Amino acid sequence: MLLKLGSMLAVVAAWFGLSLLLPATVLPGPWQTLNVLIENVVDGQVHQHLLATLGRVAGGLALAMAVGVPVGIVMGLNRFAEKTLDVWVMVALTVPSLCYAILAFIWIGLNETAAIVAIGLTSAPSIAINLWEGVKNIDTRLFKMARVFNASRWVIVRRVLFPQVLPYIMASLRFGLGIVWKITVLVELLGRPDGVGFQLFYWYQLADMGQVLAWTLLFTLVMLFIELVILQRLERRLFAWRPEVRL
Amino acid sequence: MSREATDNGILVEGLIKEFPGQRVLDGLDLTVASGEFVCLLGPSGCGKSTLLNILSGLDGDYRGTVRFGGRAMAPGGKPPLTIGYLFQEPRLLPWLTAERNVDFALENSRVPRARWAAIKDHYFALTGLQAFRHYYPHQLSGGMAQRLSLVRALAIEPDVLFMDEPFSGLDELTARRLRVDLLDIWRQTGKTILFITHNSYEATFLGDRVVVLSRGGIRNQITVDVPRPRDYDDAALFQVGKTVSATFIEAAEAAERGRSEGTAHPD
Ligand SMILES: Nc1ncnc2c1ncn2[C@@H]1O[C@H](COP(=O)(O)OP(=O)(O)OP(=O)(O)O)[C@@H](O)[C@H]1O
Ligand SMILES: [Mg+2]
Repeated sequence: MLLKLGSMLAVVAAWFGLSLLLPATVLPGPWQTLNVLIENVVDGQVHQHLLATLGRVAGGLALAMAVGVPVGIVMGLNRFAEKTLDVWVMVALTVPSLCYAILAFIWIGLNETAAIVAIGLTSAPSIAINLWEGVKNIDTRLFKMARVFNASRWVIVRRVLFPQVLPYIMASLRFGLGIVWKITVLVELLGRPDGVGFQLFYWYQLADMGQVLAWTLLFTLVMLFIELVILQRLERRLFAWRPEVRL
Repeated sequence: MSREATDNGILVEGLIKEFPGQRVLDGLDLTVASGEFVCLLGPSGCGKSTLLNILSGLDGDYRGTVRFGGRAMAPGGKPPLTIGYLFQEPRLLPWLTAERNVDFALENSRVPRARWAAIKDHYFALTGLQAFRHYYPHQLSGGMAQRLSLVRALAIEPDVLFMDEPFSGLDELTARRLRVDLLDIWRQTGKTILFITHNSYEATFLGDRVVVLSRGGIRNQITVDVPRPRDYDDAALFQVGKTVSATFIEAAEAAERGRSEGTAHPD
């Protein structure tokens, strides 16, 4: 924890140092940026855009997990599924996210559904691959144990498969979140009238570096909060049974 | 816990098991009487675990017949009586505590819930694990984990107990204690036990009969005519152990020869 705090302070210090060397129109300092951010919050325009973005992130992530998790699990457990699907997952991963966004907006229209579909489908392949790799490490000997002890198929799925897959689902959730954030911003600047991505693009067009950095900072802070406070606590709760790893 | 009147014997006839490129069991015949303690001894790779996997219904891909107490097991089906299985490794569910691991087995068994507490108390005490009921598997030593899997196998009150080298990873002192405990449990409950080992003297100490396997099938069977309770330092037991050991080495050498011939003249 101390290490994390130290490295963050170092980065902020470096930012401050650089901002002294460069003109404010190119790189405003941390203090200025924070001021702009606070002004935005006081103005009351932040929460509307932030909520719009968060909604898209949540929707896109849910869709990506709903598609990617089952595909990844099936690929990890079943050799036939692995052989038939792996090419398609690779293809889906290779298509640039911009293509998904453009196609979704053309086919579905310039609306919220299209945005969420674009975000979800772009991130689903990465999540599937993440889970597929993980599920391969599952201890199949435990399934045999459960079968000898007369566990039904459903009991095996729920009590032997699921607890083993859960760590990989959680890992892919964190990993997926990182991807979904980035795609959401891209999708917003392409076809949405609000959200953090829209704001970034707007201020970029006006060449207002202070605002661009302020929105970037906001974004990073919210993301860190979700990652460090919410997800890590959830993991610690879910995996209390694991041996503790001390670094 | 009284001896049951039902027949829990095992009868295996003409068992053939093939894996791609090799025939592991080639017409194996084996009879285990109800309540008998039989040890299976054989060189590594001769098909001991394969045999237990078939008998426990995990592997349905074989030819030949398997009967439990006169009732045939359908290939691909389940054994018609309750099996307790101690695997070569503990195979515990790492996210459940020791006690919950035993509960997992009980929940899928026919043992009525009202008796669970008493059964668990009994076997946790017997194996010296009562203080560790709330420990997770990673907090247990290897020997404790193996004892816990013994508790799990016994708690469901199986008619037949399969044990695959359960004590081979333990230090000799712990193994000795567990062998004596196992014999006590066997004496009290009269289960049929099929016990796999690499250790000739362990087999002799435990078994009514030692069956020595070689590649494909049974090489020899030795009845251990030493009265119980047995003593590790019993001279008569040691004599039988020497015979068993010699047979085992013969079987292992034959398996070696068979393997090198097998590669020289593939059939
Ligand atoms: N799933 C499998 N696929 C292919 N071959 C297998 C499989 N399982 C076992 N075998 C082969 O069958 C033979 C017998 O294996 P098995 O595990 O029954 O040996 P074992 O007698 O239990 O040996 P050990 O004493 O080392 O445990 C070995 O040659 C092994 O390579
Ligand atoms: Mg084996």
